[in-house]
Amino acid sequence: MVRPAAVERLTPRMRRVMARSIGYNLLQVIFVVGLAPLAAGVLSRLKEIVQSRRGPSVLQPYRDLRKLFNKDQVVSEQASWIFRATPFLVFVAPIFVATLIPVLTSYPLFFAFMGDMLGGGFVLALGGFFATLAAVDTGNPYGPMGASRTRMVGFLAEPVFMIVFFMVSFVAGSTIPYIVQQHWVTPLANFFAPSHVLLVIAFIMLIIAETGRIPVDNPTGHFELAMIDESKSLEYSGTGMALMKWGGQMKLLVLMCILLNVLVTPWGLAADQRLSQVLLAALLVSLKIGVFLLVMVVIESSLAKLRLFRVSEFLGAAFVTSVVAMIGGLLGF
Amino acid sequence: MILLAIVVLPLIAGLISVLAPGRTIAPLATLAASVTALALSVAAAASLVAGQPVVAVRNWVALDGFGALILLLTAALGSTAALFSWGYIAREKSARRLRRYYTNYNLFVASMLLVPVLIEPNLVWTAVELTTVLGVYLVAFENTREALEAGWKYSVLTIMGGAIALLGFLAMFAATSFGGGGPYTWQRLLMLAPAAPQGVLQVAFVLILVGFGAKAGLVPLHTWLPDAHSQAPSPICALLSGIKTTLVLYVILRFAAVLNVSASGSADVWATVVGLSSVAIAAFLIIQVTDYKRLFAFSTVEHMGIILTAAGIGGAAAHYGAVYQILNHALTKSFCFFAAGAALLTVDTRQIAAVHGLIRRSPAAGAALLLGGVAIAGAPPLAVFLSEFSILRSAIEREHYLTAGLLAAFVVIGFFGTLYHLNRMTFGRPEETEAGAAAARLPTSCLLTLILAGSPVVLLGLYMPKPLALLLRMAADGLSR
Amino acid sequence: MGEISALLASLNGLAAGLFLLSSFALAATRQVQGCLRFYIAQSVFLVVSALLLAFGLHASDLLAVAALDLAIKPIVIPWLLGRMVRGEIFRRREIDQVLNIPSSLLIALGLTLLAYFLSQRLPAPAGAMARINLPVGLAALLIGTYTLAVRREAVPQLIGVFGIENGALFVGIAIAPSLPLVAEMAFPFDMLIIALVIGILTRMTQERIGTTEVGGLASLKESVDG
Repeated sequence: MVRPAAVERLTPRMRRVMARSIGYNLLQVIFVVGLAPLAAGVLSRLKEIVQSRRGPSVLQPYRDLRKLFNKDQVVSEQASWIFRATPFLVFVAPIFVATLIPVLTSYPLFFAFMGDMLGGGFVLALGGFFATLAAVDTGNPYGPMGASRTRMVGFLAEPVFMIVFFMVSFVAGSTIPYIVQQHWVTPLANFFAPSHVLLVIAFIMLIIAETGRIPVDNPTGHFELAMIDESKSLEYSGTGMALMKWGGQMKLLVLMCILLNVLVTPWGLAADQRLSQVLLAALLVSLKIGVFLLVMVVIESSLAKLRLFRVSEFLGAAFVTSVVAMIGGLLGF
Repeated sequence: MILLAIVVLPLIAGLISVLAPGRTIAPLATLAASVTALALSVAAAASLVAGQPVVAVRNWVALDGFGALILLLTAALGSTAALFSWGYIAREKSARRLRRYYTNYNLFVASMLLVPVLIEPNLVWTAVELTTVLGVYLVAFENTREALEAGWKYSVLTIMGGAIALLGFLAMFAATSFGGGGPYTWQRLLMLAPAAPQGVLQVAFVLILVGFGAKAGLVPLHTWLPDAHSQAPSPICALLSGIKTTLVLYVILRFAAVLNVSASGSADVWATVVGLSSVAIAAFLIIQVTDYKRLFAFSTVEHMGIILTAAGIGGAAAHYGAVYQILNHALTKSFCFFAAGAALLTVDTRQIAAVHGLIRRSPAAGAALLLGGVAIAGAPPLAVFLSEFSILRSAIEREHYLTAGLLAAFVVIGFFGTLYHLNRMTFGRPEETEAGAAAARLPTSCLLTLILAGSPVVLLGLYMPKPLALLLRMAADGLSR
Repeated sequence: MGEISALLASLNGLAAGLFLLSSFALAATRQVQGCLRFYIAQSVFLVVSALLLAFGLHASDLLAVAALDLAIKPIVIPWLLGRMVRGEIFRRREIDQVLNIPSSLLIALGLTLLAYFLSQRLPAPAGAMARINLPVGLAALLIGTYTLAVRREAVPQLIGVFGIENGALFVGIAIAPSLPLVAEMAFPFDMLIIALVIGILTRMTQERIGTTEVGGLASLKESVDG
């Protein structure tokens, strides 16, 4: 295409800016990849503390991952290529999304042109789709059960996702996360607009459903019949298992980043090109995520897991919330 | 001052009913208070007819022609029902429940007396809502499964209607609040309406019609009415059917008048459609009714429809017919329920099919039931016939042929339905083997009530006192302006 | 000044949104206790909106209204109901209703859209705040009516009535802020008396029939009668 020729004509300054942009983009990916297990560890540790138990250290997820990477992988003879490819897809999808969204900077980075929020949503959904296929692939009785349940939650959550995304873009006038993010705080009245607050509520409910937390699913449960999300990866071992786990953790972190940096608190991001700003932003974003994890813990500890058929009511509530937000947006609240 | 006294008197009687021990003081106090209230109401209405304005609190409590008519009817029915209660409720064994009945009775009557004397529409809403709520206990008084069910249906539907109407009242206020501050009364509402935004007025009226229509027993939210008006004790039925529904209709008609003076809008179509459909549905339900108190209850739905249709036809003659019908309905329907109460005391069943030859077992109850039935169905020369006839005539005069034709047809259906059932009950051979064949004698107070309440029913068709005619004319004026 | 009024309008919009959300919750909760809690929340948002309107429209009457509403609706009425209706009703896990929860939610959504389109057809009231309160209050009114129709339990039916009334008032405070104070004060007291009387009726029903599932009472009909 034209691009290589265009690169030839770049001035050194532009080249430097571009290199920095790519660098920050990589930093962003490293941030997501590196901190995802930590976030999961902090979440479970906080929960243990709330339940007045002594849990493992916050670094336990890293140890788990190392252990799993060192183990042998066992793959069923009946399994097809889908089963082998899925862990990589599940691992790569959140990384891809992480290049698109504002994780550390409030301005678009080098790869941000590749997709908007809808694109990110589809990429995440692709990982989920393959995870479902892989669960059916081996013929393990629990896999398809979990897969069908995940799909049930999924197809109830999808319309809400669509409404939330379209509503956000409608209100902000764009589907590009960087523009959306600016909209909420200029002027400040926008921040308190009911469409905004209700969308945030709906989105939090979605994150809970989509990442399989209480009250929709219990991520620490070990009873196969009651599992929704976990049972899909029952057949995996070794490297595959590690990638699946890590991918799941990254998905949670990416969704939290979208929620926090795009929807709720678009403050604390780096506004210019300096490295110090970006590093400071990394700290602040970690702090925000920490606070949000605290909120998650409160939600998880104060609610009981819903019966499977009540999940539809939970998502129905999310749907209604998002539609109320939509009506609010249409009314021009 | 006189107006305030009218409202306070039943409250005092209510207080006495709470405090006084025994079984006799409460009914006596109630009767005394209601008769005094009636006398005061007559005095107030008389001075109004004589041309003196009756004002208690400027811009809040006052009386005009339409209000005076309603006040008079309320006080009159409050007295006769109190007299009837004396004998009717005496069956109640527990003195505590008896006193509680009278307490609630007085509160209920006081709240009803409040409606016509208030002239601030928003307060009228509160008063109407109070009448509804204070009636709940009385409807469920019998404390049977059916009575409680009736109480629930009554309270849920009518309170819901009230809440919907509230929005209409507020919208009405908002539409006319452009004129700056100043008192907000029926009069001022009529003055401001021509300049108010027409769309808002229309919407407000429809909300009020739907909401208060539920309270007045208008179709389609009439379903609670036959239940409540058949399960409540008979004197309460007389009040509910005779005046409580009419009170609500009175408020609706006030707003219809407001709409009629406004620039483009008119309540005619709404009133005619809702009124006629109420008449139609009631007429057909009367035919298949199996319980004679429900029969009279459906007749109330029919009459509410007739009055509303008359208001919808418009014109001075029709409005005169409407207020005349209000008067006749209140007097006749309360008499019907007293008669039904007497019949119930005699035969102890509400089933039409189970009663034969009532006139032989209890001549008084039988004759009263027959008279009531004939009168309420609208047989000449009784008063209901006259008012219905004048409504029909005005409809033809104003060339509303379709309305006139439909109204006439439904009224005739209702007429024959009512008489068919009552005929079966009154005449024929009483079944001697029936339980309770040794009929209980009617209590004296009930007999007395039948005579007192029955005489205007008979006389009003033949002779109309001049002041009353004047009052009706004034009331009709309040509607047409 | 414009900045502040924009912020007020936005906050009022937020109160309206949460008000609407609690109406939805009112229609879709399974537990009697939850129903009551969402009613309390709804009333609080009504009060918040009244306060914002009082500041926005400089209507000092609304402050008194807000204070009275705050005292009666979220505090006195629930206390009264809790006292009069015995505890086991509130602890009952599930309210019986005619339609299940998801379809209730969908119908409530439909009603909200209906209210939105209805209010679009109406002549627009003056003021940005009234334009928000009108459709939201209308929607709450419709949802309350729906709740009343599908619930079979006594207390939730009553709360449905209160929902309707809240909806009407939510519109009222916006379109008629200059309502005479006497009338404005009469409304909450009226609600109080309704709560009292219905509470007594509930108690009577419970003592006589042994249940408060009033929707199951259906013996009074034309054909089956007696």
